[in-house]
Amino acid sequence: MIYRVSVLVAVTLFALIFIRLTGGYTERLALRALAEYYVSRAPLELGVSNIVTGILIAYRGFDTLGEVAVLFMVAASVGLLLRKDDAGFKEAEERRRRPASEIVMTGSQVLLPVILTFGAYVIVNGHLSAGGGFQGGAIVASGVMLLLLADPGARLNAAALSVIESLAGITYVAIGILGLILAGGFLDPRFLPPGEAGTFLSAGAIPLVSALLGIKVGAELSVIINRFGR
Amino acid sequence: MVASLFHPLNIFLLGLAGGFAIPLLVRIGNGWLSAGFFIALVGIAVISAVSLLRILGGEPPIDIFTAGSLPPVSINLRFGLSEGFVTASVNVMAILGALHLWDRLRGNYAALLLYLGLTMGINGMVMTRDLFNLFVFLEIVSIATYGLLGLERTPAALGAAFKFIMATVIASSLFLLGTGLLYYVTGTLNIDTLVATKSNITGPIGVAALLLLLACLVIELKPFPANGWGLDVYETAPSGVATMISVGVSAGVFFSLVKLLPLFEDQLPILAVSGGATFLFSNLIGLKQSGIQRLLGYSSIGQMGLLLLGLALLHQVGAVASIPLVAGGLFLNHLLAKAGLFWIASVIRQRDIDVPVGIAGHPLLAALLTLFLVAIAGLPPFPGFWAKWALIMQLTSAAKLPWVVLILCGSLLEAAYMFRWFTRALCTQESGPTEMPSASALFPIVTVALLLCIAGYVAARASGAGAPWMFGPLLSRIILYALDRMPGRAKNVLMLAVVLAVGSFLAQAAQGIAWLFAILLLAGSLVIAAAGLYRVDDRPGYYPMLAILMLSIQALLRSSTSLEFFFSWEIITLSTCFLIAKGRGAGPHVLSFLLFSLLSAFLVLAGFAGIAAVSGSIHLGALMTSGPDASVAFAFLAAGFLIKAGAIGVHVWLPGAYSEADDDFTAVLSGVVSKVAVFGLLMGTYLAIRSEAGLELAHAIAWVGMLTTIAGALMALQQTDIKCLLALSSMSQLGYIITATALMSHLGWVTALYLVANHVMVKGVLFLAIAGIILRTGSRSLPEGGGLLRAMPVTFATVLVAVISMSGLPPLMGFGGKWLLLSAMTEKGWHFLAVAGLVATFLGFLYMIRLVSGLFFGPYRGEQTKVSEAPTALLVPQFVLITGILVLSLYPKLLMDPVSAAIDPHFASTLVWEGMSLETVYGYWNPTPIMTGAVTVAAVLGLIAWLAYSGSQRNVADLHRFFAFYRPIIGIASPPVAIVFWRSVADGTLAVADWARGLYSGNGQTYALYVLFYFLVIYVTSTGLAGLWAGGRL
Amino acid sequence: MTTIIPVSSILLVTGFGLALIGLCGILIHRHLLRIIIGFALFSTGLHIVIVATGYVTGGTAPIIDGALSQAEAGRAIDPIPSALVVTAIVIGFAVTAIMLAYAVRLHSARKSFDIRAFTESKW
Repeated sequence: MIYRVSVLVAVTLFALIFIRLTGGYTERLALRALAEYYVSRAPLELGVSNIVTGILIAYRGFDTLGEVAVLFMVAASVGLLLRKDDAGFKEAEERRRRPASEIVMTGSQVLLPVILTFGAYVIVNGHLSAGGGFQGGAIVASGVMLLLLADPGARLNAAALSVIESLAGITYVAIGILGLILAGGFLDPRFLPPGEAGTFLSAGAIPLVSALLGIKVGAELSVIINRFGR
Repeated sequence: MVASLFHPLNIFLLGLAGGFAIPLLVRIGNGWLSAGFFIALVGIAVISAVSLLRILGGEPPIDIFTAGSLPPVSINLRFGLSEGFVTASVNVMAILGALHLWDRLRGNYAALLLYLGLTMGINGMVMTRDLFNLFVFLEIVSIATYGLLGLERTPAALGAAFKFIMATVIASSLFLLGTGLLYYVTGTLNIDTLVATKSNITGPIGVAALLLLLACLVIELKPFPANGWGLDVYETAPSGVATMISVGVSAGVFFSLVKLLPLFEDQLPILAVSGGATFLFSNLIGLKQSGIQRLLGYSSIGQMGLLLLGLALLHQVGAVASIPLVAGGLFLNHLLAKAGLFWIASVIRQRDIDVPVGIAGHPLLAALLTLFLVAIAGLPPFPGFWAKWALIMQLTSAAKLPWVVLILCGSLLEAAYMFRWFTRALCTQESGPTEMPSASALFPIVTVALLLCIAGYVAARASGAGAPWMFGPLLSRIILYALDRMPGRAKNVLMLAVVLAVGSFLAQAAQGIAWLFAILLLAGSLVIAAAGLYRVDDRPGYYPMLAILMLSIQALLRSSTSLEFFFSWEIITLSTCFLIAKGRGAGPHVLSFLLFSLLSAFLVLAGFAGIAAVSGSIHLGALMTSGPDASVAFAFLAAGFLIKAGAIGVHVWLPGAYSEADDDFTAVLSGVVSKVAVFGLLMGTYLAIRSEAGLELAHAIAWVGMLTTIAGALMALQQTDIKCLLALSSMSQLGYIITATALMSHLGWVTALYLVANHVMVKGVLFLAIAGIILRTGSRSLPEGGGLLRAMPVTFATVLVAVISMSGLPPLMGFGGKWLLLSAMTEKGWHFLAVAGLVATFLGFLYMIRLVSGLFFGPYRGEQTKVSEAPTALLVPQFVLITGILVLSLYPKLLMDPVSAAIDPHFASTLVWEGMSLETVYGYWNPTPIMTGAVTVAAVLGLIAWLAYSGSQRNVADLHRFFAFYRPIIGIASPPVAIVFWRSVADGTLAVADWARGLYSGNGQTYALYVLFYFLVIYVTSTGLAGLWAGGRL
Repeated sequence: MTTIIPVSSILLVTGFGLALIGLCGILIHRHLLRIIIGFALFSTGLHIVIVATGYVTGGTAPIIDGALSQAEAGRAIDPIPSALVVTAIVIGFAVTAIMLAYAVRLHSARKSFDIRAFTESKW
C-alpha cells in the first residue's frame, strides 16, 4: 500500500516536472548556428544530401562507431546469457515449438524478398534520402525475424553471420583509419571524392560506411533474434 | 611516427578493432584469441601510460579530433594530465583484473570482447569532450557490465544483475533526456562550449536538463539510499567483475562528473550532502555485514561518497589546488586497495568474514590482506592517508567542522568493519590452513600491493612530507621482513642492532624534551626488547613489526611538523595493533584497541588541523606560538592523547590489549609505547599554556589523571589475572603522569618526566618478571598462583624492587616522584588533588601488596613443584632496569638536570611557574643520605620478612582477611560504567545500522523507485517547490 | 488550430505522456516482461521528446533534394536531435535485448516472471 502511494507520488511529481518542461518549451523559429552549419555546409563538404546521415556517419561518426560497438557487445552478451549449458533449459524451450500457421508461411514467402530488397534499398540510399545503415539493417533483420517465425526449425548460419559482422566492423575501423591517413581525421569520409550531391556515387565514403553498417546491423540483429529464437 | 603510434586515439582503435576481431580470432584458435585480447588490452594500457608520460614531460594536453572537423561540429576528445592519470590507472587495473578473472575469461570470446569493450568505454568516458558521446560511452560501459554480470549463473546473481540494469537504465535515460534538453537550450553538445556559456543555461528546461545530467551521474555512483541494486551486484558478481565495477566504472563516472562539475556549481552543496550521507551510511551499514563481497561493496560505495564529498567541498571552499592530491590520492587508494581486497577474498575463497580460513598460516597472504586493509582504512603510508590529511586540513581551515566530524566518523566505522575482517581472518588460529594459491593467482595481488606502496610514496612527496627519514622505520621493516626466515633469536639480535643503529640516527636529531624522551625510550625499548631472546620460536613477522614500532617512536619524537608527527603516530598505532594481534587470545581486543586508537588519532588529527587553521602552519613550533583561539584544538589534542593513554572512561581497550599481547611485548607496550601518549600530552599542553582557556582545561585534565589513577588502582584490586592487574596498574601510573603534566608548571613537568622514567623501568621489570612466571607456571591467575618465593627468588627480588619503586615508598625513585608530585600540586594550590593523590597512593599499596603476596607467598600449589627460576634472557634485562632504578634513585640529578634544562626555555618565557628555583626544590629532598639509610633499613626489614614468611603461612590468611575488609568498598567504588557505556554505544550503532539497512528490500522495483525519488529530491532541493509548478519562477 | 498549439508541443506532450506510462509500467507491474515493456515505452517517449525539441516552425526534413534546395536549406529542421535519436534508439534496442535475455534466464532459474521472486540478495 505504501509502495502504491509512493509510486503514485513519484509519477505525479514526474508529471508535474514534465508539465513544467512542456510549459517552458517554445518552438524554435530558426536554426541555431551549429545546425545551420550542418545544413548548409554538409552538402558542400561531404556531398551528402541527407544531412542526418552526414552527421551520423561523418561528423558524429565516433558516436556511430560506439553505437556499433554497443550492438556488437549486445549480440555477444545475449549469446553469453542464452548459451545452452544446462539440459533442462534446452528441453523446456524445445517443447514449445509448433509449426507456424499457413498464413504466416505464405506471407513470409511473399514478403521476404520484398522486405530484403527494401532493406537493401534503404541501406544504400542513406546518403541521398531518408534511410541509412541502421534503418536498412533493422528492416533486413525484421525479414529474418519473419523467416524464423514462419519456420521455427530454421537455423541461421550463426557462424557465418558472426564472421560477417566482425569483418564489417573491422572494415569500418579500417575506413576510419583511412580517413585519418588520407583525409582530415579519424572517420573522415572525404578520402574518396565527394562527387556531386544527389547522385548515387557521391558523399565520399559515406555510402560505403552505410553499406557496412547495414550489413553489420542486419547481421547483428539477426544473430540476436536467432539467439532468442532458439 | 612514435607519437602517432602512441596517440591516445589508438586506444579506441585497439579497443574497437580488437573487439571486432575477437570472433574471428576464436575461429583460428584459443591461443590467438588470448594473444589478441592481451595485445589489445596491454596496448591500451601502454598507450595511455606513454601519453601520460609525455604530458608529465611537459607536453601540452593532446586533443583528438574526429571526422576532419573541429568541435563543436564534430566530436573531440582530450587527453590531459588528469585524463592520463585516470585512464592509465584504470587500464593497468584492467590488465591485472583480466589476469585475475582469467579462469572465467579464457576461451570465452564473448566475455573477452565485453571486457575489452568495458575498458575502452571507461577510457572514452574519461576522454570525451562531447556530451552525447559521453552518453554513448556510458552505454558501452553499461552494456559491457550487463554482459559480464551474466558470467555468474546463480539465480541471486541474475536477479541482482536485473536490478542493476533497471536502475542504471533509468539513470542513463535521465542522462539522455538531459542531453537532449540541454541541446535544445544551448544548441551545442560540446562540453567546453557548454561550460563557457553556462550562464545561458536558464529557464525551466535548462535547469531541469542540468539536474537530469547531475542526477544520472550521482545515481551511477550509487548514492545512499538509492544503491541497493549496486550492492546486490557487488555481492553476487564474480570478484573480477565486481572489481571492475567498483574501481573502473566508478572511476569513469566520477571523472565524467569532475568534467561536468563547472556546470553544477550551484549544486555543490547537494553533491556534498549526497556524498557525505553515502559515506557515512554505507560505512555504518557495513558494520552489520559479514559477506565479504557485499562488505567490500559498502566500502566501495562509501569511498565514492567520500570522493564526491571531497570534490564538492574543496570546490566550495575554493581549495581547488588540493583537489589533485585529495581526489587523486583517494581514487588511487580505492582503486588499488579495493581491487586487492576483492581479489584476495576470492583467492582465499572466503565468502564470509565469520568463516575462518586460516590465512594466518600464510605470512604472504596475511601480509597482503593486512596491507590492503590498512590502505583502505586511510592509514599511512598509503595514498589515502595523505589525501585524507589534506582534505581534513583544508576543511578545518575553511571552518567546515561538521564535515570533518562526518568524515572522521565514517572512516572510523569503515576501519571497524575492515579490521573486524582482519581480526577474524588472522586471529583465528584453530582452523587448518587453506591451500596456498598458485603464483599466477597471486601475481595481480602482489602487483597491486607494490603499486600501492609506490603510490603511497608518491602521494607523500606530493603532500610535501617526503623526508627520507620518515620512511626509515618502514624500510628497516622491509629489510628485516626479507630476512624473516632466520631463526627467532638471530632475528631478535639483528632487530636490536637495526633499531640501535637507525634509532640513534633518528634520536640524535630530536630536540629538547623530545630528545630526552628519545634517549629514554630508545634505551628502554632496546633493553626490554632484548628480553625477547627467551623465546626460542620463530615468531614470523614479529621482529620486523617490533622494529617498525620502536623506530617509529623515534621518528615521531624527531618530527618537526604535525604531518610527520601524525604519520608516525598512525604507524605506531598500526604496528602496535599488529603486534598485539600476534598474541594468542588477542582477537576481540585487537579491534577495540584499534578503534580507540583510531578515535584518538582522529581527535589528534582534528586538533592539528585546528591549530593549522589558526596559525596557518603545520610546523610543530606553531603549537607554542598560537594564541588563545587554539583552545578548541587543544581540547581535541588532549582528548586524543588521553584516549591513547587510557584515561578513565576511555580505558576500556587497555586491560584486554595489555593482557592478551605476548608476554614480553606487554612489557614494551606498557613500558615504552604508553609514553608516546604522554609525550603528545606534554607537547599539546604548550598550547594550553598559551591560551587562557586552556588553563581551566588543564585543571580538568589533572582531575582526569587523578581519577584514572584511582580507578585503575580500584580495578587492579579486583583483578585475578596478573597481567590484567599490571595492565590496570599501568593505567593507574599513567594517571599520575597525566596529572603531573597537567600541572603545567616547571615542577610538574620535571615530575612528569621523572615519573615517566620510573615507569619505563618499573613496568619493564614487572612485565618481564611476569613473563618469566607465566613461562614457568603456565598460569596467569592470581588465586592459582602463590608460593613462588623459593622457586623464583631472583624474580621475587626484582619484582620487590620494582614494586617498591612504583608504589612510591622510600627509598627508591618512585618516592621521589610522588614527593615531587605532591609538592607541585600544593605549590599550585590544588589541595583536593593532593588529597586524592594520597588516597590513590594508598590504593596502590593495596594492589601491590596483593600482587607480591599472591605470587610469592603462601603454599606451593600442586603442579608447581618443578618450577624453576626464570630464564637468564628474561632476568638480565630486569637487572639492567633495576640498575637504572637504583642509579636514578641515588643520583636523581642525572635525570633532573637535563630535564630541567630541556624544560626551562618553555617555562622561563611563559611564567606559569613562579618563584622557587629548581635548586630550592631539591633542597627539601636530598636523596643520597636518605637513600643510603633507607636501603640499609630495607635490607634489614627484608631479611626479617624473609625469615618470617618462609616459615609460616599464617600471614597469608591474615592477608586474606585484610582484603576481605576492603572488597565490598572496592566493588561499590568501581562500577563498570565505562564498559557499559561503550558497549551501549556499540550496540546502539549496530541497531541504527540494522535499522538503516532495512531500506534495502531486495526488490528491483523498489530500487527503481528509490532511484526516481533520488532524482526528484535532487530536483526539488535544487529548484524549490517552484520547480514542480508549470508557472513557478526560480 | 495548429497555430495555437505548435506541432512539436503536441509531440512533446505525447512523448512525456508515453514516458509516464512507461514509468507506471516499470513501477506497478510485477511481471518481468511488462516491466521491460515499461522500459521500452519510457525510452521511446524520451526519444520522441528529443526529436520534438529539434523541430523548427515550418521546417521540413533536412534532406537537400528537389523539395529543399541548397539555397533554402535554412528551412530544414534541426538535424542533430534526429541524429542523436537514431543512436539512442539503437542503444534502447540493445538494452531491451539484454533485459529480455536476462528475463529468459531468470525464468529458467525460478520458473517465474514475478520480480518479487528475485529478492534473495539484500542487506
